[in-house]
Amino acid sequence: MPDIAELESAAEVWERLAAIVESSDDAIIGKTLDGTITAWNQGAARIFGYSAAEAIGKSMGMLIPPERAGEEPEILARIGRGESVDHFETLRVRKDGKLIDVSETISPIRDSSGAIVGASKIARDVTERKLTEIALKQSLAASESALKELADLKFALDQHAIVAITNVQGTITYVNDKFCATSKYSKEELIGQDHRILNSGHHPKEFFQEMYRTIAGGKVWQGEIKNRAKDGSTYWVDSTIVPMLTAEGKPGQYIAIRFVITERKRAEERLAAQAAELQKTQDELEIRVNERTVDLANANKVLESSNVELQQFAYVASHDLQEPLRMVASYTQLLAKRYKGRLDSDADEFIAFAVDGCNRMQGLIRDLLTYSRAGRNGEEPSEVSGDDALQGALTNLRITIEQSGAVITHGRLPSITTDETQLTQVFQNLIGNAIKYRSSEVPRVHVSAANNGGNEWTFSVRDNGLGIDPQYFEKIFVIFQRLHGRQEFEGTGIGLAICKKIVERMGGKIWVESQLEKGSTFYFTLPGGNN
Amino acid sequence: MTEFAGTHAEPIVVLLVEDSAGDVRLTKEAFKEAKIRISLHVATDGAEAMDFLNRAGNHTKAPRPDLILLDLNLPKKNGREVLEEIKMSSTLMSIPVFILTTSSADEDVLRSYRLHANAFITKPVGLDGFLQVVKSIDSFWLTVVRLPRE
Repeated sequence: MPDIAELESAAEVWERLAAIVESSDDAIIGKTLDGTITAWNQGAARIFGYSAAEAIGKSMGMLIPPERAGEEPEILARIGRGESVDHFETLRVRKDGKLIDVSETISPIRDSSGAIVGASKIARDVTERKLTEIALKQSLAASESALKELADLKFALDQHAIVAITNVQGTITYVNDKFCATSKYSKEELIGQDHRILNSGHHPKEFFQEMYRTIAGGKVWQGEIKNRAKDGSTYWVDSTIVPMLTAEGKPGQYIAIRFVITERKRAEERLAAQAAELQKTQDELEIRVNERTVDLANANKVLESSNVELQQFAYVASHDLQEPLRMVASYTQLLAKRYKGRLDSDADEFIAFAVDGCNRMQGLIRDLLTYSRAGRNGEEPSEVSGDDALQGALTNLRITIEQSGAVITHGRLPSITTDETQLTQVFQNLIGNAIKYRSSEVPRVHVSAANNGGNEWTFSVRDNGLGIDPQYFEKIFVIFQRLHGRQEFEGTGIGLAICKKIVERMGGKIWVESQLEKGSTFYFTLPGGNN
Repeated sequence: MTEFAGTHAEPIVVLLVEDSAGDVRLTKEAFKEAKIRISLHVATDGAEAMDFLNRAGNHTKAPRPDLILLDLNLPKKNGREVLEEIKMSSTLMSIPVFILTTSSADEDVLRSYRLHANAFITKPVGLDGFLQVVKSIDSFWLTVVRLPRE
């Protein structure tokens, strides 16, 4: 039997225990084996939202979400068998309907005889812990995946790029395999070395000074560098150097990532070399073209001056030839005048031949002079009416036309920017020829013009005369070229040569179409016309 | 003796400035053929012509010509220079000067008239032409026209 003191002490113990239970943060719930709530502390009220008054006498079922309804009978069965359920984590529903994660420890309650009469349940709200766990798990997963990603990135980077880390002094502290493979130095040879070990000498000092200034200032430097490998070969890298800043914001070390671009640079260099070569060829070509142009200009000058000389020669020759000819002709004639009939008949005949020869030579020289003057730009070209030029020619030919009874007709003739005297001369020579080389019929000459489209006209002089054998189409335009004997037709053979010279000087061309005994048509073109 | 227009009975004095002996003779013969009586004096180059006109050198007694026939191509002093000097001289400028040359170039014609030549004649090639020229000079310049007397 316990003594009073002990009894009192037991009561005190009970109260103390009850106070502990009551003040526990965990829910401490008593229930019968059929699930009726018999005890409900403050913790339970806080976790589940029901007050003790609301909960006691109610079924535990009100705390269980419908999908978990099967748990309770099982737990109660285990309790009934005297077992405990420790740290059973499940979902429960609060008074306000919110689901919460709880961790439960359920133990049987025995009466004094040891028979199981109910169960005590200690439930802890682990929602927070659960959330933390989930967050932690997610965070771990994220870290893992970030790490994996980093590892993948590093792998990928190492596969493709040279990676190096140097300290602020420029000493290499890390290199990847790619660096070694490209530079042909081993890791051991590189680490601890200054980066200048790779200097190819290609870049000027200022290039690296600018680079160090940039990265020392905490900025990223990017550029293309030509490096020298251990074996002396060179390679190009597209380099990005990132300063890694310390907490003070100053560069602590530099990470350099480099891509080998040797092929591209070589291609560029080849391209540049080719372009330079091309430029050189082009320059040379240009020089040669210029030289040729100068040569041509010189040749042209020589030709021009020789043309001028030739013209002067023809002029001077024909002019100076007239002097002695005049003497021969005049004195032969004087001889004939004074002594005709006083010498014998042979002398008279000889004198006649001499006089005739002089006359012919005079004609030749006169024509040569005319030819040498033909096409000379005596006058500035002006707007010339084709009709006026033709009328001028007809006036000059008036006697010939009257004597031959020739009929001259013409179509509409354009105005041409040219030298009127020269155009008149061409018409005169062509019409004169048409009449001179007439057939037995009355000479009919028709002059016309047709536009060639654009700024050029073709003039034509058509006759019904003797016609010309096609084999002479070219020859007739040659100076002093004649197709007929002197007894048939007079003339020196200069007329068409003069026409050709004039027309060509004016920028046109002249030709003939003809059939023997069917007449001829002479054509010539002239630029500079309008309607 | 040929009949002359005007009041003078003396033969007209012509100065022929010509270096070609053939032409000198031909001119003389032409005047002869045309039956024109003149007093023909000859200078064979430009310098001599100026001496004759200025009565200098070998020509201190030279008469003043009534007419000058002047060739353009002359030794020493060419016809253009002679023409220019005559027409610049106040005493000689009134003497008619005919250019008698083989040239028929427009340029020579224009230049001569610009220098105040009184006529420009291209020497004809044939004798008949030459006779015609001489006759024309006679009938126009020595008959129709009244020349200055000084």
